[in-house]
Amino acid sequence: MSAYRFEEQHTPPPARQVTDVAVERFEHIFEVDPKLMTVHVAQQLFPNWDTLRIAASRGDHLEWMHRHWAAEAVSGQKLLDELDAGDGDR
Amino acid sequence: MTITGTAPQLSDRVLAELTDALGGEYVLTSKTARYNRARVPAPFPVHRWRERVPDLVVLPGSAEQVAEVVRIANAHRIPIVPRDGGTGLTDGAVPERRGIVVDVKRLDDIKEIDLDNRTCTVGTGINMLKLNEVLGAHGLIYPDDPASYPCSLVGGRIGTSGWSLVGSRFGHTRDLVLSFELVLPTGKLIRVGDGGGRKVSKSSSGYQLKHLFMGHQGTLGIATEATLKLYPKPEAEFSPFWAFPDFDSAYRCVGELARAGVATFAGAVLFDEWKVDYLRRDDEAYIPQPADVRALVCAVAYGNDDEVRAGGRRLLRIARDAGARYLGDEISHGDWAARHDRYATPLHGRTPAGQVAPMSWHCEDAAINYTNLPAVRREWHSIVARLRDKHPIFDDWGMFFYTSADTGVDYLTEIDVGIWEQELDDAAWAAWVDAKRDIAAVALNHGGSISACHGSCREGEVDLVPLELGGGYDVMLQVKRALDPNNIMNPGKYGLQRAYEEAP
Ligand SMILES: Cc1cc2nc3c(=O)[nH]c(=O)nc-3n(C[C@H](O)[C@H](O)[C@H](O)COP(=O)(O)OP(=O)(O)OC[C@H]3O[C@@H](n4cnc5c(N)ncnc54)[C@H](O)[C@@H]3O)c2cc1C
Repeated sequence: MSAYRFEEQHTPPPARQVTDVAVERFEHIFEVDPKLMTVHVAQQLFPNWDTLRIAASRGDHLEWMHRHWAAEAVSGQKLLDELDAGDGDR
Repeated sequence: MTITGTAPQLSDRVLAELTDALGGEYVLTSKTARYNRARVPAPFPVHRWRERVPDLVVLPGSAEQVAEVVRIANAHRIPIVPRDGGTGLTDGAVPERRGIVVDVKRLDDIKEIDLDNRTCTVGTGINMLKLNEVLGAHGLIYPDDPASYPCSLVGGRIGTSGWSLVGSRFGHTRDLVLSFELVLPTGKLIRVGDGGGRKVSKSSSGYQLKHLFMGHQGTLGIATEATLKLYPKPEAEFSPFWAFPDFDSAYRCVGELARAGVATFAGAVLFDEWKVDYLRRDDEAYIPQPADVRALVCAVAYGNDDEVRAGGRRLLRIARDAGARYLGDEISHGDWAARHDRYATPLHGRTPAGQVAPMSWHCEDAAINYTNLPAVRREWHSIVARLRDKHPIFDDWGMFFYTSADTGVDYLTEIDVGIWEQELDDAAWAAWVDAKRDIAAVALNHGGSISACHGSCREGEVDLVPLELGGGYDVMLQVKRALDPNNIMNPGKYGLQRAYEEAP
């Protein structure tokens, strides 16, 4: 476990511009480009752990939803590979 | 007989009668209790919020208590509005003439699970997700699955005749509710179904009253208990998402998927370029997609594992032959799981300058035949473009088209519009109402229905309901007057006050 450092938590990793309207600071977590949020909406101060917590809990929620609806989520990639290999054309 | 205007302030006598019937704890008069039940998630003119606030809220604990409240309201000619989850998007659960909101959330018990006949009987205040947590332990599911699945409730599903994301496989609310008990506007408790039996799925006995008392938006009574059809909890779920370089090839593909006759097919959705552009602004899955992705299709299948895989192969083959690009398991699984709960929609839009502005989500929906989807799409986008030109507080969030049946005959067709509610004034609201009317007119001009899903009670679209239903609307007026002689049940909705003003 690493110690909590206020300064560290309030210094987000540098942003990588992903498109003209979005940036990425943590892997697979995309954010609206802050330049677009300067006139009508105020931005909140967000510690890094909270960003990661929100993304992770969304992931947990989606996992839960799959299990809630069915025992298994079938992989389309596997079926497609079978099709492409000619085994699924029956 | 003419009944107009708002209800009188409720007298001490009415309050005392309600308190006697329910106990004081369940008669709520506070400002918060009343204001919280004066709106739904659909945007509305916030500056007119006060006009929609009820005089009080009651929380009955049994069908008998609901009946007693209705009798008191009927005796005193006080408007009464049934309310369940409050997620309805056509203002059904919002009082137009003050009065009493009957919040049925306390009727949330599971009264019976019949494992042999595959039914359960529940109070109408129960939520489908919560019910399915219990049914899951028995290997069963009640598959009524709106995009408000975690928060809409069985009674509201009946009140709106709801549409389900997996309706192409399991049917919609009208198919899944076998029978229900309801309190008529005079306070009488009856049960309606297909014929008389509580658990009968097909009867030819008498009028088919179940349909009459579904989708009436609380204008004909309050459902208190429902008997539901159950299915085995699916072993497998399959939800592929595909990308296309243009709308036309995606449109052809969705039609072929829907017409393929795959038994486990539970639905297919087509998202147009505007929707893809919208998703690229905020959606984790679509931001990094290459720029040549211009339209999306998803399909979903549920059932036994072997059958889902066999059907899945066929769906994949159809999509592959139609030029689809599979978006991968991560996006496919994640995006489908998120569809059960669209409250996660980002609540912000863009000004014409591209700046983020806080906006609420509104959707206009219609039922449109497959062959008319492209024309409706063009016309709806141009209506919203004209609106945004005049009032930049509106933002076009794109359209999708979702199969309603297992043959691909018609699609829930939806345009999502962001509305900067705080900036709404009377002029912008009037322009919005005109746009809604125009949107509904396009649906009718193309042989569709104004709503597949939410109902058509809101300003604008409601004006065209008599046109849509023709002579059927006159029958609606006659039924309303016969069942609700004092016009107490959700008065003002669907223009039904006409039943009391003119000879229908
Ligand atoms: C994010 C989101 C996604 C949505 N997706 C869908 C979707 O996919 N499919 C769909 O069909 N809808 C959808 N909706 C709309 C809404 O969830 C449905 O209309 C739902 O059926 C309303 O249920 P509720 O319990 O919230 O009812 P409420 O909003 O409380 O009431 C809806 C109507 O039914 C009446 N009513 C309520 N309870 C009763 C009762 N016991 N007896 C008689 N009448 C009653 C009310 O007076 C009102 O007219 C969505 C809404 C949101 C916010």
